Amino acid sequence: MTSSSGAARKNLSKIACNRLQKELVEWQVNPPTGFKHKVTDNLQRWVVEVIGAPGTLYANETYQLQVDFPENYPMEAPQVIFLHPAPLHPHIYSNGHICLDILYDSWSPAMTVSSICISILSMLSSSTTKQRPEDNDRYVKNCRNGRSPKETRWWFHDDKV
Amino acid sequence: MGNEEEEEELVAEVEAVEAVYGTDCVLLSSFPPHFHLFLKPRTADVSSQQFVEAVLEIRATSQYPKEPPSIELVDCKGLDEQRQKHLLNYIQSKAREISPCLMLVALCEEAVEKLSAMNHPDGDCPLCLFPLVPEDQQSESLPFMKLMSCFHCFHSECIIRWWKWLQNSKESDSANTDSTAAHRNQDKHKKMEESVGNCPVCRKPFLAKDLDHVLALVGSYSSQLSSDNEELKDEETVLQSEDEMIRRQKFEAILNLQKENSGLIEPKKDIVILPGMYLPQPVAMPSSTPTKESDEQTQNEPPAVVSGKQAGGTSNGASSSRQRNFGPRRQKARSDNHSSSTVRNTRKPVQQWVRRDSPSNKQ
Repeated sequence: MTSSSGAARKNLSKIACNRLQKELVEWQVNPPTGFKHKVTDNLQRWVVEVIGAPGTLYANETYQLQVDFPENYPMEAPQVIFLHPAPLHPHIYSNGHICLDILYDSWSPAMTVSSICISILSMLSSSTTKQRPEDNDRYVKNCRNGRSPKETRWWFHDDKV
Repeated sequence: MGNEEEEEELVAEVEAVEAVYGTDCVLLSSFPPHFHLFLKPRTADVSSQQFVEAVLEIRATSQYPKEPPSIELVDCKGLDEQRQKHLLNYIQSKAREISPCLMLVALCEEAVEKLSAMNHPDGDCPLCLFPLVPEDQQSESLPFMKLMSCFHCFHSECIIRWWKWLQNSKESDSANTDSTAAHRNQDKHKKMEESVGNCPVCRKPFLAKDLDHVLALVGSYSSQLSSDNEELKDEETVLQSEDEMIRRQKFEAILNLQKENSGLIEPKKDIVILPGMYLPQPVAMPSSTPTKESDEQTQNEPPAVVSGKQAGGTSNGASSSRQRNFGPRRQKARSDNHSSSTVRNTRKPVQQWVRRDSPSNKQ
């Protein structure tokens, strides 16, 4: 039931479809600043372009987020990762996995792709050093089997960055 | 001398405010007047029909009433930023209008009046993102509810779907020894045990019993919803789902009991198969039915009346007429959804009974 793991394993439920279509329309009317949705015909996988906010370490840098929606979205969180190359950030692993509580334990169905994007940009913007997490190598090695970040047991210990 | 008189007048005015608002008024200083006023809509005696509230801070300077007092919203529920601004602007403009006359009581009354007019939920359901109250009367209107702790509103079926999903994942967790999944849902786990949930919007804890009255109605909502929205294909998968299996097993148990007791079953379980409860709702609630809650639901049948009122009723004066409109409108929505399959709809209850009476057919 909670095997939300891999990307796009099961088709979206009707409810998830309705909600995503609504989000997409909303996004087109009022996109979050600094983000661009790359148009595809795949409702279940969004690719979103992130532009680092001016005046931050990531200013003018562009990255890509891949958002995969589970069958039971929005009850379950989407899987959000950075596509290669992932930004250098103390909470972003080189395989693109993001250590951000709202993507996992603290997910709430009232959140949207838009609100996730804003959280991620704010996480980038508040960073003071461009570096990988301390345990990057170990973690990335453990994920070699294609493990989803949603299967990771995350510790959210740092609320500063 | 003049000053003293003025001061006396001001003190008397503050006393008047206190007299009118009693404990809703928290006096911080009587000269120059400074107080907090807890505002409720006039219709708020029925708490289920209250969708907004606010705490207003009114602080006068020594120049009052020649100079209007400063007015701020200290706290509020059920009002988004736009509506907060609207309320505040309105009261502030009233203050400028009335100045330089004494205005405190009049101002408070205006505030209550305005808030009463705003006593309806606003915006979209945070879960499905569709409007809580459709702007045009044409589109279907779904019952909504609010959480008592924070006044956040949701379509009843949306929040119930979420709640049941949490409970289901808890159940599958306890069955599932996978440590990762168990960890992921540890928090949810805890919540369930304490019968407390967190508002999806603000995470403020609420008691599960806040949802009970809606749960009592969940049969009619969620089953209607799923049969309306889900395609036939989905229905089939539902029939094979674990939930459905459990539901059937439960029914079979009841059926056996009925046989053993030569047609008689216990009162509580009797409710479960009261035709009246299921007739308006087509197919048994798929992802939702089974297990413990379904018993609770049936036990909670009486509150259903109350919650119907809550789901339908909204603001002040309009509330009674709204309530009256509600039934028909819902009815309409239902028939709209089934415009292509009206026949199927009317037959469904029958199918349902057949299915239930002979669970072995389908299994």
